[in-house]
Amino acid sequence: MKQSPPHEMDAVERMVNRVLGAGVAVSVAFMLAGVVLVVARGGGLPPHAPSFRELVPGLGTADPAAYLSTGLLVLIATPFARVAGSVIVFALERDRRYVALTAVVLLVMCAGVLLGRAG
Amino acid sequence: MTAFIGILLVAVVAGVFGSMLGVGGGIIMVPVLSLAFGVPVKAAIATSIVCVIATSSVAQSSFAARGMTNMRLGMFLEVATTVGALAGGITAVLIDGRVLQACFAVLLFYVSWQMGRRRHDVVPVEGPVMPSAYFDPAEGREIRYGVHGLATGFTLSLVAGNVSGLLGVGGGAFKVPVMNLLMGVPLKATIATSNLMIGVTAATSAVIFYGRGYVDPRWAVPAALGILVGARLGPRLAIHLPARVLVVVFEVVLIVFGVLMLLRALQVGI
Repeated sequence: MKQSPPHEMDAVERMVNRVLGAGVAVSVAFMLAGVVLVVARGGGLPPHAPSFRELVPGLGTADPAAYLSTGLLVLIATPFARVAGSVIVFALERDRRYVALTAVVLLVMCAGVLLGRAG
Repeated sequence: MTAFIGILLVAVVAGVFGSMLGVGGGIIMVPVLSLAFGVPVKAAIATSIVCVIATSSVAQSSFAARGMTNMRLGMFLEVATTVGALAGGITAVLIDGRVLQACFAVLLFYVSWQMGRRRHDVVPVEGPVMPSAYFDPAEGREIRYGVHGLATGFTLSLVAGNVSGLLGVGGGAFKVPVMNLLMGVPLKATIATSNLMIGVTAATSAVIFYGRGYVDPRWAVPAALGILVGARLGPRLAIHLPARVLVVVFEVVLIVFGVLMLLRALQVGI
Protein backbone atom coordinates (compact mmCIF):
# COMPACT_ATOMS: atom_id res chain seq x y z
CA MET A 1 0.00 0.00 0.00
CA LYS A 2 1.29 3.41 -0.94
CA GLN A 3 1.75 6.00 1.73
CA SER A 4 -0.54 8.99 1.25
CA PRO A 5 0.72 12.58 1.24
CA PRO A 6 -0.19 14.45 4.45
CA HIS A 7 -3.50 16.29 4.38
CA GLU A 8 -3.41 19.97 5.37
CA MET A 9 -6.36 20.47 7.74
CA ASP A 10 -8.34 23.74 7.56
CA ALA A 11 -9.59 25.70 10.59
CA VAL A 12 -12.90 23.81 10.76
CA GLU A 13 -11.23 20.41 10.61
CA ARG A 14 -8.74 21.37 13.32
CA MET A 15 -11.49 22.66 15.63
CA VAL A 16 -13.63 19.55 15.10
CA ASN A 17 -10.72 17.26 15.92
CA ARG A 18 -9.71 19.18 19.03
CA VAL A 19 -13.23 19.38 20.47
CA LEU A 20 -14.05 15.73 19.81
CA GLY A 21 -10.69 14.56 21.16
CA ALA A 22 -11.04 16.60 24.36
CA GLY A 23 -14.64 15.45 24.90
CA VAL A 24 -13.70 11.80 24.59
CA ALA A 25 -10.72 12.20 26.96
CA VAL A 26 -12.78 13.88 29.71
CA SER A 27 -15.60 11.36 29.29
CA VAL A 28 -13.25 8.40 29.61
CA ALA A 29 -11.65 9.92 32.73
CA PHE A 30 -15.04 10.15 34.48
CA MET A 31 -16.13 6.67 33.41
CA LEU A 32 -12.87 5.06 34.53
CA ALA A 33 -13.10 6.90 37.86
CA GLY A 34 -16.63 5.52 38.21
CA VAL A 35 -15.48 1.98 37.44
CA VAL A 36 -12.69 2.29 40.01
CA LEU A 37 -15.22 3.49 42.62
CA VAL A 38 -17.52 0.56 41.80
CA VAL A 39 -14.67 -1.91 42.26
CA ALA A 40 -13.51 -0.18 45.46
CA ARG A 41 -16.99 -0.30 47.00
CA GLY A 42 -17.84 -3.76 45.74
CA GLY A 43 -21.33 -4.79 44.56
CA GLY A 44 -21.68 -4.19 40.79
CA LEU A 45 -22.70 -1.31 38.61
CA PRO A 46 -25.62 0.86 39.73
CA PRO A 47 -28.82 -0.07 37.90
CA HIS A 48 -30.16 3.46 37.49
CA ALA A 49 -28.82 6.67 36.05
CA PRO A 50 -29.01 9.64 38.43
CA SER A 51 -31.23 12.51 37.30
CA PHE A 52 -29.58 15.73 36.15
CA ARG A 53 -30.00 17.39 39.56
CA GLU A 54 -28.58 14.40 41.47
CA LEU A 55 -25.33 14.45 39.50
CA VAL A 56 -23.33 17.22 41.17
CA PRO A 57 -24.10 16.18 44.77
CA GLY A 58 -23.24 12.60 43.73
CA LEU A 59 -19.82 13.67 42.47
CA GLY A 60 -19.14 15.29 45.86
CA THR A 61 -19.96 12.11 47.79
CA ALA A 62 -17.92 9.91 45.39
CA ASP A 63 -21.08 8.11 44.24
CA PRO A 64 -19.99 5.72 41.43
CA ALA A 65 -23.27 6.23 39.54
CA ALA A 66 -22.68 9.98 39.41
CA TYR A 67 -19.19 9.52 37.91
CA LEU A 68 -20.33 6.94 35.36
CA SER A 69 -23.29 9.04 34.28
CA THR A 70 -21.25 12.25 34.15
CA GLY A 71 -18.85 10.44 31.82
CA LEU A 72 -21.76 9.38 29.62
CA LEU A 73 -23.21 12.92 29.65
CA VAL A 74 -19.86 14.47 28.68
CA LEU A 75 -19.75 12.02 25.77
CA ILE A 76 -23.32 12.99 24.79
CA ALA A 77 -22.45 16.70 25.11
CA THR A 78 -19.35 16.47 22.89
CA PRO A 79 -21.21 16.75 19.54
CA PHE A 80 -23.06 19.79 20.95
CA ALA A 81 -19.71 21.40 21.66
CA ARG A 82 -18.49 20.52 18.18
CA VAL A 83 -21.49 22.22 16.54
CA ALA A 84 -21.13 25.27 18.79
CA GLY A 85 -17.46 25.37 17.82
CA SER A 86 -18.42 25.27 14.12
CA VAL A 87 -20.66 28.32 14.56
CA ILE A 88 -17.71 30.18 16.07
CA VAL A 89 -15.16 29.11 13.44
CA PHE A 90 -17.50 29.99 10.55
CA ALA A 91 -18.24 33.36 12.20
CA LEU A 92 -14.50 34.07 12.41
CA GLU A 93 -14.21 33.16 8.72
CA ARG A 94 -17.22 35.41 7.93
CA ASP A 95 -18.99 32.52 6.20
CA ARG A 96 -22.54 33.71 6.91
CA ARG A 97 -24.31 30.83 5.21
CA TYR A 98 -22.55 28.26 7.37
CA VAL A 99 -22.95 30.34 10.52
CA ALA A 100 -26.70 30.17 9.84
CA LEU A 101 -26.73 26.44 9.00
CA THR A 102 -24.71 25.36 12.03
CA ALA A 103 -26.66 27.70 14.32
CA VAL A 104 -29.91 26.06 13.17
CA VAL A 105 -28.41 22.63 13.95
CA LEU A 106 -27.44 23.81 17.43
CA LEU A 107 -30.92 25.25 18.06
CA VAL A 108 -32.65 22.04 16.98
CA MET A 109 -30.32 20.02 19.23
CA CYS A 110 -31.17 22.29 22.15
CA ALA A 111 -34.87 21.89 21.38
CA GLY A 112 -34.28 18.15 21.76
CA VAL A 113 -32.85 18.73 25.23
CA LEU A 114 -35.83 20.83 26.30
CA LEU A 115 -38.40 18.38 24.94
CA GLY A 116 -36.63 15.46 26.61
CA ARG A 117 -36.89 17.16 29.96
CA ALA A 118 -40.45 18.30 29.41
CA GLY A 119 -41.72 14.67 29.49
CA MET B 1 -18.97 -8.36 35.88
CA THR B 2 -19.34 -11.04 33.19
CA ALA B 3 -21.91 -8.89 31.42
CA PHE B 4 -19.60 -5.87 31.74
CA ILE B 5 -16.73 -7.63 29.97
CA GLY B 6 -19.07 -9.27 27.48
CA ILE B 7 -20.66 -5.97 26.46
CA LEU B 8 -17.26 -4.31 26.32
CA LEU B 9 -15.92 -6.95 23.90
CA VAL B 10 -19.03 -6.78 21.72
CA ALA B 11 -18.65 -3.00 21.65
CA VAL B 12 -15.06 -3.31 20.42
CA VAL B 13 -16.37 -5.26 17.42
CA ALA B 14 -19.26 -2.81 16.98
CA GLY B 15 -16.78 0.07 17.08
CA VAL B 16 -14.66 -1.49 14.35
CA PHE B 17 -17.58 -2.16 12.01
CA GLY B 18 -19.45 1.02 12.88
CA SER B 19 -16.50 3.28 12.17
CA MET B 20 -15.36 1.28 9.16
CA LEU B 21 -18.78 1.68 7.52
CA GLY B 22 -19.80 5.10 8.87
CA VAL B 23 -22.90 3.68 10.55
CA GLY B 24 -21.86 4.12 14.18
CA GLY B 25 -22.10 0.60 15.57
CA GLY B 26 -25.72 0.93 16.72
CA ILE B 27 -26.61 -1.61 14.07
CA ILE B 28 -24.67 -4.24 16.01
CA MET B 29 -25.33 -3.07 19.57
CA VAL B 30 -29.14 -3.02 19.51
CA PRO B 31 -29.67 -6.67 18.49
CA VAL B 32 -26.77 -8.06 20.52
CA LEU B 33 -27.78 -6.26 23.70
CA SER B 34 -31.38 -7.37 23.40
CA LEU B 35 -30.67 -10.90 22.14
CA ALA B 36 -27.58 -11.95 24.11
CA PHE B 37 -27.81 -9.79 27.24
CA GLY B 38 -31.59 -9.48 27.64
CA VAL B 39 -31.50 -5.70 27.76
CA PRO B 40 -34.97 -4.15 27.29
CA VAL B 41 -35.14 -2.79 23.77
CA LYS B 42 -35.47 0.88 24.69
CA ALA B 43 -32.46 0.68 27.00
CA ALA B 44 -30.62 -1.18 24.22
CA ILE B 45 -31.43 1.64 21.81
CA ALA B 46 -30.28 4.24 24.34
CA THR B 47 -27.01 2.34 24.82
CA SER B 48 -26.47 2.05 21.09
CA ILE B 49 -27.05 5.78 20.66
CA VAL B 50 -24.28 6.40 23.19
CA CYS B 51 -22.13 3.99 21.13
CA VAL B 52 -22.89 5.96 17.98
CA ILE B 53 -21.70 9.17 19.63
CA ALA B 54 -18.52 7.50 20.87
CA THR B 55 -17.80 5.97 17.46
CA SER B 56 -18.34 9.27 15.71
CA SER B 57 -16.11 11.27 18.05
CA VAL B 58 -13.27 8.75 18.15
CA ALA B 59 -13.18 7.80 14.46
CA GLN B 60 -13.45 11.36 13.17
CA SER B 61 -9.83 12.27 13.89
CA SER B 62 -8.55 9.47 11.63
CA PHE B 63 -10.85 10.44 8.76
CA ALA B 64 -10.24 14.19 9.05
CA ALA B 65 -6.48 13.66 9.14
CA ARG B 66 -6.86 12.06 5.69
CA GLY B 67 -9.15 14.81 4.41
CA MET B 68 -11.88 12.25 3.73
CA THR B 69 -14.63 14.04 5.67
CA ASN B 70 -16.56 16.55 3.57
CA MET B 71 -17.20 19.00 6.43
CA ARG B 72 -19.43 21.40 4.50
CA LEU B 73 -21.59 18.62 3.08
CA GLY B 74 -21.90 17.04 6.51
CA MET B 75 -22.83 20.26 8.25
CA PHE B 76 -25.38 21.09 5.54
CA LEU B 77 -27.11 17.71 5.80
CA GLU B 78 -27.03 17.89 9.61
CA VAL B 79 -29.78 20.51 9.41
CA ALA B 80 -32.06 17.83 7.94
CA THR B 81 -30.94 14.96 10.14
CA THR B 82 -31.27 16.85 13.43
CA VAL B 83 -34.83 17.93 12.61
CA GLY B 84 -35.67 14.33 11.69
CA ALA B 85 -33.98 12.94 14.79
CA LEU B 86 -35.86 15.29 17.08
CA ALA B 87 -39.14 13.90 15.75
CA GLY B 88 -37.85 10.31 15.99
CA GLY B 89 -36.58 10.62 19.55
CA ILE B 90 -40.01 11.73 20.67
CA THR B 91 -41.73 8.95 18.72
CA ALA B 92 -39.55 6.14 20.11
CA VAL B 93 -40.75 6.54 23.70
CA LEU B 94 -44.34 6.17 22.46
CA ILE B 95 -44.00 3.09 20.22
CA ASP B 96 -43.93 -0.60 21.26
CA GLY B 97 -40.47 -2.24 21.26
CA ARG B 98 -41.45 -5.16 18.98
CA VAL B 99 -42.85 -2.85 16.35
CA LEU B 100 -39.55 -0.95 16.45
CA GLN B 101 -37.58 -4.17 15.96
CA ALA B 102 -39.70 -5.23 13.00
CA CYS B 103 -39.23 -1.80 11.39
CA PHE B 104 -35.50 -2.10 12.03
CA ALA B 105 -35.30 -5.49 10.30
CA VAL B 106 -37.23 -4.33 7.24
CA LEU B 107 -35.05 -1.23 6.90
CA LEU B 108 -31.87 -3.32 7.14
CA PHE B 109 -33.02 -5.58 4.28
CA TYR B 110 -33.95 -2.60 2.18
CA VAL B 111 -30.58 -0.90 2.57
CA SER B 112 -28.71 -4.14 1.92
CA TRP B 113 -30.68 -4.64 -1.28
CA GLN B 114 -29.86 -1.08 -2.33
CA MET B 115 -26.14 -1.61 -1.78
CA GLY B 116 -26.19 -5.01 -3.50
CA ARG B 117 -27.73 -3.64 -6.68
CA ARG B 118 -24.48 -1.88 -7.40
CA ARG B 119 -21.35 -3.66 -6.33
CA HIS B 120 -18.88 -0.98 -7.33
CA ASP B 121 -18.31 2.46 -5.91
CA VAL B 122 -19.68 5.47 -7.79
CA VAL B 123 -17.45 7.05 -10.42
CA PRO B 124 -16.47 10.44 -8.97
CA VAL B 125 -17.62 13.43 -11.05
CA GLU B 126 -16.06 16.81 -10.40
CA GLY B 127 -18.48 19.69 -9.94
CA PRO B 128 -18.86 23.17 -8.45
CA VAL B 129 -20.91 22.12 -5.40
CA MET B 130 -18.84 21.44 -2.25
CA PRO B 131 -15.86 20.16 -4.25
CA SER B 132 -13.53 17.94 -2.28
CA ALA B 133 -10.51 15.70 -2.73
CA TYR B 134 -8.74 13.01 -0.75
CA PHE B 135 -5.98 10.50 -1.33
CA ASP B 136 -7.16 6.88 -1.54
CA PRO B 137 -4.30 4.59 -0.44
CA ALA B 138 -6.05 1.50 -1.86
CA GLU B 139 -6.12 3.03 -5.34
CA GLY B 140 -2.87 4.96 -4.90
CA ARG B 141 -4.35 8.16 -6.30
CA GLU B 142 -6.20 11.32 -5.38
CA ILE B 143 -9.99 11.20 -5.77
CA ARG B 144 -11.67 14.51 -6.73
CA TYR B 145 -15.43 14.94 -6.74
CA GLY B 146 -18.27 17.44 -6.48
CA VAL B 147 -21.58 16.88 -4.69
CA HIS B 148 -24.71 16.35 -6.79
CA GLY B 149 -28.45 16.20 -6.00
CA LEU B 150 -28.37 18.42 -2.90
CA ALA B 151 -32.17 18.81 -2.71
CA THR B 152 -32.82 15.06 -2.93
CA GLY B 153 -30.08 14.38 -0.42
CA PHE B 154 -31.45 16.96 2.00
CA THR B 155 -34.98 15.53 1.82
CA LEU B 156 -33.87 11.93 2.35
CA SER B 157 -31.59 13.01 5.20
CA LEU B 158 -34.72 14.16 7.02
CA VAL B 159 -35.97 10.57 6.79
CA ALA B 160 -32.56 9.19 7.82
CA GLY B 161 -32.58 11.42 10.91
CA ASN B 162 -36.02 10.21 11.88
CA VAL B 163 -35.00 6.56 11.53
CA SER B 164 -31.99 7.27 13.72
CA GLY B 165 -34.10 8.69 16.50
CA LEU B 166 -36.61 5.85 16.22
CA LEU B 167 -34.28 2.88 16.07
CA GLY B 168 -30.92 3.90 17.46
CA VAL B 169 -29.03 3.02 14.29
CA GLY B 170 -27.58 6.47 13.94
CA GLY B 171 -29.18 6.77 10.53
CA GLY B 172 -25.77 6.05 9.04
CA ALA B 173 -27.09 2.94 7.35
CA PHE B 174 -29.32 5.28 5.34
CA LYS B 175 -27.07 8.31 5.06
CA VAL B 176 -24.35 6.23 3.42
CA PRO B 177 -26.56 4.98 0.54
CA VAL B 178 -28.14 8.43 0.12
CA MET B 179 -24.79 10.25 -0.22
CA ASN B 180 -23.10 7.48 -2.17
CA LEU B 181 -25.85 6.33 -4.56
CA LEU B 182 -27.83 9.56 -4.97
CA MET B 183 -25.34 12.39 -4.40
CA GLY B 184 -22.32 10.92 -6.17
CA VAL B 185 -20.01 11.06 -3.15
CA PRO B 186 -17.33 8.30 -3.30
CA LEU B 187 -17.85 5.60 -0.65
CA LYS B 188 -14.89 6.45 1.57
CA ALA B 189 -15.80 10.15 1.71
CA THR B 190 -19.40 9.07 2.36
CA ILE B 191 -18.33 6.86 5.26
CA ALA B 192 -16.19 9.63 6.79
CA THR B 193 -18.89 12.29 6.36
CA SER B 194 -21.66 10.02 7.66
CA ASN B 195 -19.43 9.23 10.63
CA LEU B 196 -19.21 12.93 11.46
CA MET B 197 -22.97 13.50 11.09
CA ILE B 198 -24.21 10.55 13.14
CA GLY B 199 -22.70 11.99 16.33
CA VAL B 200 -24.87 15.08 16.13
CA THR B 201 -28.03 13.16 15.30
CA ALA B 202 -27.43 10.67 18.07
CA ALA B 203 -26.59 13.33 20.67
CA THR B 204 -29.97 14.97 20.20
CA SER B 205 -31.78 11.68 20.77
CA ALA B 206 -29.44 10.65 23.58
CA VAL B 207 -30.42 13.59 25.75
CA ILE B 208 -34.08 12.65 25.40
CA PHE B 209 -33.32 9.03 26.28
CA TYR B 210 -31.23 10.14 29.27
CA GLY B 211 -34.05 12.35 30.52
CA ARG B 212 -36.40 9.33 30.39
CA GLY B 213 -33.94 7.19 32.38
CA TYR B 214 -33.03 4.77 29.56
CA VAL B 215 -29.27 5.52 29.54
CA ASP B 216 -28.37 2.82 32.06
CA PRO B 217 -24.67 2.86 33.12
CA ARG B 218 -24.66 -0.95 33.55
CA TRP B 219 -24.78 -1.27 29.77
CA ALA B 220 -23.83 2.14 28.42
CA VAL B 221 -20.48 2.40 30.24
CA PRO B 222 -18.93 -0.90 29.10
CA ALA B 223 -20.36 -0.29 25.63
CA ALA B 224 -18.82 3.19 25.39
CA LEU B 225 -15.43 1.96 26.67
CA GLY B 226 -15.38 -0.87 24.12
CA ILE B 227 -16.26 1.51 21.29
CA LEU B 228 -13.29 3.70 22.18
CA VAL B 229 -10.99 0.81 21.30
CA GLY B 230 -12.83 -0.44 18.21
CA ALA B 231 -13.38 2.98 16.65
CA ARG B 232 -9.63 3.53 16.41
CA LEU B 233 -9.18 0.43 14.29
CA GLY B 234 -12.21 0.78 11.99
CA PRO B 235 -11.13 3.94 10.13
CA ARG B 236 -7.77 2.35 9.29
CA LEU B 237 -9.60 -0.51 7.62
CA ALA B 238 -11.96 1.88 5.82
CA ILE B 239 -9.08 3.98 4.55
CA HIS B 240 -6.96 1.10 3.26
CA LEU B 241 -9.50 -1.48 2.03
CA PRO B 242 -10.75 -1.30 -1.58
CA ALA B 243 -14.18 0.36 -1.74
CA ARG B 244 -15.89 -2.69 -3.23
CA VAL B 245 -14.82 -4.81 -0.25
CA LEU B 246 -16.49 -2.25 2.02
CA VAL B 247 -19.69 -2.55 -0.03
CA VAL B 248 -19.79 -6.31 0.46
CA VAL B 249 -19.05 -6.09 4.21
CA PHE B 250 -21.79 -3.48 4.52
CA GLU B 251 -24.31 -5.80 2.84
CA VAL B 252 -23.44 -8.89 4.87
CA VAL B 253 -23.59 -7.09 8.21
CA LEU B 254 -26.98 -5.60 7.37
CA ILE B 255 -28.50 -8.94 6.29
CA VAL B 256 -27.25 -10.91 9.31
CA PHE B 257 -28.60 -8.41 11.81
CA GLY B 258 -31.81 -7.88 9.87
CA VAL B 259 -32.55 -11.60 10.21
CA LEU B 260 -31.71 -11.64 13.94
CA MET B 261 -33.86 -8.62 14.63
CA LEU B 262 -36.80 -9.98 12.65
CA LEU B 263 -36.71 -13.26 14.60
CA ARG B 264 -36.69 -11.30 17.84
CA ALA B 265 -39.61 -9.12 16.76
CA LEU B 266 -41.59 -12.28 15.91
CA GLN B 267 -40.59 -13.68 19.34
CA VAL B 268 -39.02 -16.85 17.97
CA GLY B 269 -37.09 -18.15 20.99
CA ILE B 270 -33.39 -17.30 20.69
